[in-house]
Amino acid sequence: MTEFKPTILAFCCNWCSYAGADLAGVNRLQMPPNVHVIRVMCSASVKPEYVFKAISQGVDGVLVLGCHIGDCHYLTGNHRTAKRIPVTKKILHDVGIDDRRVRLDWVSAAEGEKFQQVIIEFVAEIKTLGPNPQREVNM
Amino acid sequence: MNDLGRRLARIAFDERGADILLMMAENQGNVGPVIISKGQDPGDARIDVPYQLVAILTNLLPFIGKAKVAILCRRCDEKALIELAKRGIVDDASMVRIGLACSKEQIQACRCSDCVPSKVDIGEAAEPCPEDALAIELGSMTIEQRAAFWMRQFRKCNKCFGCTLNCPVCFCDDCVLEERTYTPKEGIPPELAFHLIRSFHLADKCVECGECERSCPVDIPLLTLRKMVNRDMKNMFDYGSGDAEKKSPLLTTLDDQPLEDDGHAC
Amino acid sequence: MHVDHVLTTCPYCGTGCRFYLQVVDGRLVGVVPCKTDEISQGKLCIKGYNAHAFVQHPDRLTHPMVREDGQLRKATWDEALDKVVSEIKRITAEHGPDSVIVLASAKCTNEENYLFQKLARAAIGTNNVDHCARLCHASTVAGLLMSFGSGAMTNTIPEFEDADCVLVTGSNTLEAHPLIGARILRAQDKGAKIVVVDPRDTPLSRIAYSSIRQKPGTDIAWINGMIKIIIDEGLHDEGFIKDHTSGFEDLKRIVQPYTPERVEEITSIPKERLIDAARTYASAERAMIAYAMGVTQHTNGTNIVRALANLAMVTGNVGRESTGVNPLRGQCNVQGACDAGGLPDLFPGYQKVEDADARKKFEAAWGKPLPPNKGTTLTCAFKDALIGKVKAMIIFGENPMLSDPDIAHVEEAIKELEFLAVTEIFPTATTKLAHVVLAGACYAEKDGTFTSTDRAIRPVHKAIDPPGEARPDWQIACELGRRLGASGFDFSSPSEIMDEMARLAPPYGGISHARADREVLRWPCPSKDHKGTPVLHVGGFKIGKGVLVPVDHAPPAEQTSEEYPFILTTGRNLFQFHTGTMTRRSPKLEREAPEPYVEVNTTDAKRLGISDGGRVRVSSRRGEISLKARVTGWIMPGVIFIPFHYAEAAANRLTNPALDPVAKIPEFKVCAAQLEKA
Repeated sequence: MTEFKPTILAFCCNWCSYAGADLAGVNRLQMPPNVHVIRVMCSASVKPEYVFKAISQGVDGVLVLGCHIGDCHYLTGNHRTAKRIPVTKKILHDVGIDDRRVRLDWVSAAEGEKFQQVIIEFVAEIKTLGPNPQREVNM
Repeated sequence: MNDLGRRLARIAFDERGADILLMMAENQGNVGPVIISKGQDPGDARIDVPYQLVAILTNLLPFIGKAKVAILCRRCDEKALIELAKRGIVDDASMVRIGLACSKEQIQACRCSDCVPSKVDIGEAAEPCPEDALAIELGSMTIEQRAAFWMRQFRKCNKCFGCTLNCPVCFCDDCVLEERTYTPKEGIPPELAFHLIRSFHLADKCVECGECERSCPVDIPLLTLRKMVNRDMKNMFDYGSGDAEKKSPLLTTLDDQPLEDDGHAC
Repeated sequence: MHVDHVLTTCPYCGTGCRFYLQVVDGRLVGVVPCKTDEISQGKLCIKGYNAHAFVQHPDRLTHPMVREDGQLRKATWDEALDKVVSEIKRITAEHGPDSVIVLASAKCTNEENYLFQKLARAAIGTNNVDHCARLCHASTVAGLLMSFGSGAMTNTIPEFEDADCVLVTGSNTLEAHPLIGARILRAQDKGAKIVVVDPRDTPLSRIAYSSIRQKPGTDIAWINGMIKIIIDEGLHDEGFIKDHTSGFEDLKRIVQPYTPERVEEITSIPKERLIDAARTYASAERAMIAYAMGVTQHTNGTNIVRALANLAMVTGNVGRESTGVNPLRGQCNVQGACDAGGLPDLFPGYQKVEDADARKKFEAAWGKPLPPNKGTTLTCAFKDALIGKVKAMIIFGENPMLSDPDIAHVEEAIKELEFLAVTEIFPTATTKLAHVVLAGACYAEKDGTFTSTDRAIRPVHKAIDPPGEARPDWQIACELGRRLGASGFDFSSPSEIMDEMARLAPPYGGISHARADREVLRWPCPSKDHKGTPVLHVGGFKIGKGVLVPVDHAPPAEQTSEEYPFILTTGRNLFQFHTGTMTRRSPKLEREAPEPYVEVNTTDAKRLGISDGGRVRVSSRRGEISLKARVTGWIMPGVIFIPFHYAEAAANRLTNPALDPVAKIPEFKVCAAQLEKA
């Protein structure tokens, strides 16, 4: 059997998490290569619609990374995210999709190592979950 | 006009000063929605066919202007009007509610746990139905079984949009579900995202009227899904739609301050 | 502000769903499904929900036009009507009445269609009257009339949900008849087995118990194959065959060579699948057959219909609830247009024009001698136009320039005509060629009735006035009749027209507008106290015995070749309707399916280097179009599919006008085509 190589999207906010990812890169921290980073202005611009669309199209895992609460460039953008993503996860759970496929976390511009750690953990978790069953569901 | 019709007209026009009355009536063997002004004959009023009058009203709102509208209101309709008022879609002051207590049969059909309007004008209050058997069954399934159940249901969807068009709390002029951005697949059935996005959009407003399920040509148990998500909202935020005092948790910060954009957001 | 909710019937497919049109001060603002309606039960499809959207579109024709110096210009009604009348009079005087053909319309009401055929027969004096049923279920009318004595759906839509097995073939039910598809799914949810036989995977077949793909044009082979398996395994209903049918021995003989192996060779259906389908269908207590254009639009369409009737009869699946042979008719009133006599060989109520007694009855009623010979069909009329036999055409609400096979040929034929009058609600490819264009009213602007696919008379009510000077087609037909000097065109309302039709067409004997409003009446409804007939042939066939007609497989008219290696088949999608005159002007429908596409199998696409969404050229011996490819595993290799809605890449530029010899229906479902990357 060929090794499962998950496809993972990581939405990173411009001001913190993307900078954190950048720092991880500058410091040459080793990370699994399965993650596609998508830079967004704020974690609040990650509409649940995007998460649903990704999962529905067979993406194996979706990471939403923003500034720590209190550090949002837009003051309360990440509050919105903090409310929305848990609801998003619950809805996935309700229709039978493992909500561990979606994770919300906070990574600041200085946390290159945390970024690395989040990615490593998330990729490992998705690997244990296996491929998104939606890949096979040919609606 | 039958007795019921006369009674409704009296409450709406004489007692509560409405300009128009939205209700259900039988004409030539079929029951449908009617809107009358004072003195007009609506035909024989009926309360046993569950038209979603709030959804019908929202479609007409742009044309109604300042008229004071009396509407036959079940408990769920009442809650829907509250959600719409909270978002500035309807003007609470221009609405006259005529409370309709649902029949036992209707309550069973809706698995409704909150079925008595704040003021009963028509009908008799009946016992609520405590639980949705299917929701309980789904809750006890493994996640794979639950996925299999819903995928089997969603594959029947033929994208009529009946669930949104007849929904009393779907109010956007341009619905994201009609956009290719989120549901790019052409043809039917729509992708899973269609149902997930709809669930999210209703998470903080669904009043469990059940009209989505009644409108569904292929019998997808949409009301059960609504109830499951509503229970999540209750557990996570202690929030229930239809409470005038409570702002949607999706529109507030973690410390319950309003988020800056308007409450209109869907 | 004045708000009305006007109960009416959907103008799209033949299911006959009912809804309320929301009218605010003369403006249509929405659609509310009718919850107490037996057929639609408060549900609609996306087309139904958008049925208000096109009605007040700015493109609507609002006044008559006549052609002058090559251009259409605005005209008064008097001018336009007189022009039609003078041209018809001139042409009939020169070439006889049979040089004129009237095309009735499956989009118009029963009352209007009754008038259209009366106009042709009594006012012009020809049986040349036909309509687009010629292109959809002509083979059903001919085939079932011969097998059962009645050419319509034997059972009703609500019965689908109580069937134990539904065999669906040549019908993309969930897209073309969404609410019938929904009933079939409900049957499946209740435990029924759904078997779909179709060269394409459809939304229904993908969730059905069994989905079987046959090579297009090989239907008789698999149906005969099923009958053979059923007889060989003793699954046939001997009692029913003996009591109610004739011709069993001949049928038995003709199906003998159709062994599962041979059927597999012809149709490419794996034999195990065929055997399972045969057993599933035959062993069900109540089995229904539903079919549509995939069966009828073949040069042997009539025979395929007969084969399906054979299958139902040998298993005793006729004359009981939730059984039968059920042609799903695709237009709101295509059933009614046939019932009302919009056919060249039949008076209203399926009475033959060649039958002297029938003719006598209509002559007495209409006060005029009537022509004794069958008229020409729509499909033959274009051929006749090219050889100068047909000189004038009056078209009510049809668009042959997009709907008929081999459009180039249709255009040539129309240009040969000395005179063409078209009544329409929107400008179409056909109105562009007309000498006189009359502005008609759409379903929301007039009263009348449609007859749904299951023979139910469904009232249509006027919700708003027609735009500008446009007039309901029944008034236009009355004016033309009167101006042609005929009597019997002085109706003041559609309800009076129905009363006349009820007097003359026995199946409609008990129908009136007042009754149709209150009850769901399905014809035959011979008298005022009759409740209508949901299930046909209960207790036996009216013609005595059902006829088992032995039919043999015959290949389609056009075979693939090196030059044209693909089989092209055509059809609909959910969001558009026919030539798109209405749906393409409904923003929400157009947004769902905005452009033409060709479905290509993944392996074929790979071989030809065609990518999903890439542009391709499709050609046949008759023409060429360019459109986007939709690469999918849901169609057989070697077969391509194009929906025929789109004028910008009209599938009917390619289709083959070869006709079924009995029904004169063209073979829309098979032609040889070439596909290449553009």
